[in-house]
Amino acid sequence: MITWVIIMFAVFIGLLVLASVKSYKKNRSSQEFMLAGSSLGVILGFLTFSAALFSAFTFQGMPDFFRNHGIGAWIFLAFSDGVMVFFILWFGQKLRKKAREQGFKGMAGLMANIYGTRWAGYALFLSSFLFLIPYAAIQIRGISVFFDAAFPQFLPKWGWSLILVVTMILYAEVGGFKAMVYSDAIQGTILLIVLWLIGTTCIVKLGGVKSMFEQVQTANAALLSCPGPKGLFTWQFLLGSMIAVVMIPVSQPQLATRLVVMKNLKSMKRMAFAVGTFAILVISATIFIGMYGSVKYPDATAQEFWSKALLYDQAAPVAGLAIVGLFAACLSTTNSQIFALGNELRSLLPGNEKTAMQITKIFLFVFSVLVMIFASLMGDQIALLARVSFTGTSLFAPVVLAAVAMKSRPGKELIVISMIALLAFIGSQAGLIPSKIGVIQLDILLYIFISGSTLLSVVIRTQIAKSIPAT
Amino acid sequence: MKKKKLIWRLCIIAVLIIIVFTFSPLVVAKGKIEPFLFGMPYTLWVTILLTIILVGITFIGGKVLPDEEEGGE
Repeated sequence: MITWVIIMFAVFIGLLVLASVKSYKKNRSSQEFMLAGSSLGVILGFLTFSAALFSAFTFQGMPDFFRNHGIGAWIFLAFSDGVMVFFILWFGQKLRKKAREQGFKGMAGLMANIYGTRWAGYALFLSSFLFLIPYAAIQIRGISVFFDAAFPQFLPKWGWSLILVVTMILYAEVGGFKAMVYSDAIQGTILLIVLWLIGTTCIVKLGGVKSMFEQVQTANAALLSCPGPKGLFTWQFLLGSMIAVVMIPVSQPQLATRLVVMKNLKSMKRMAFAVGTFAILVISATIFIGMYGSVKYPDATAQEFWSKALLYDQAAPVAGLAIVGLFAACLSTTNSQIFALGNELRSLLPGNEKTAMQITKIFLFVFSVLVMIFASLMGDQIALLARVSFTGTSLFAPVVLAAVAMKSRPGKELIVISMIALLAFIGSQAGLIPSKIGVIQLDILLYIFISGSTLLSVVIRTQIAKSIPAT
Repeated sequence: MKKKKLIWRLCIIAVLIIIVFTFSPLVVAKGKIEPFLFGMPYTLWVTILLTIILVGITFIGGKVLPDEEEGGE
């Protein structure tokens, strides 16, 4: 396996260097460096969007989710992604229109312009910072655990994390956004191929799809229906997850930015359809890996399951590709998140472009160090941690949605409403506020609160705006 | 143009119906695993099918969504 890992890594690193060289220009403007000149076509666009969306979380978290909680994991992510890509059609069009009218450096800067106060930008940046740093750390954590299992005692877990973070910083600082788009395209392709190679092996080892599900039924029939053996996939949990996932392109700047930098609207619409198709293909492979795990390794830890199902039960070339694929997935997703934070910061910085760019590059480094620290502190429940991150950022979605949907200036009260919801959610994660009120989950209640308040604010503000010319 | 707007609205209605259907006891049914299709349990194959339909609606929606950009394409 080691030989194959070396071969695959050599090819992968070679492709990354090629992408960096192709993207590197000495005197790039900050717009070129951070947003690739806003000219992405359909293929690169959908691969970079998918790679930013699907990550180590999909590669490791989803099979483990299927293994432990059953088939409801499909609704948790794939069905939610189906709704999300449809929503992108409407949201992407509105966002691009506002970005064209106001100028676009980043989502935080755009919000500051639309709301007429820098606080809107600061609040969006804070929400992104609070949840993207842990989300990026999830990726680093995933890969360090996986590499530690694959090569025991070769390096400590933090050593693997450090290699990834250093590669990430070098790649982002040299190549900029365009190089990241190329690495995303490489990662997206590897992810799809390797997941299906592993998924197919799992199906074959259990004697076909029908036989696989029969064996799962014998091992643990509760995995074949909702809410699953541990009762996780209730309709409330799945609905809350769907809302959080649908809001990802709204509230996570690395994805919102990718909608804006598409060459034109037609490309963006095609990209949405392609991302949906990609989601179905990628996530369906993880069903079979998870079901295989539920039969073969029902009581194993996540680390043991990943190392066995993704590596040791696979042919050596596939295992080699899996390691490179996971590294690539982790690199591109983390990179896109860190880079997005840098871009959001840049969009808020006053002063000349050169100074803003220098500050941004310093902060790209600072964010990476923070991610590294978080990665060494967190647990292995990758999918659940990702869900917390999705939910946290989604609570700021009304601020963005009202900004792109309203013709007049939205009310600043929306920022306060979202901040209250955000604090309540953080309070529930810290155990200060109950995660359920009565029989209803707190996240569902917060969604009801913010959507109701937002709707009220939008209706009142629109009426006021209409009445002004008449008086 | 009017026909495109109508189809776009029908797409939105179809997506809303699919969401309500999915989270109803008809799909997220506790302990229901039959009927199987291609060896897959009920909730799984139904939600895979619904996801494919959603992506299909996205394709149609992309064709008919009224264009507010670049003076049309």
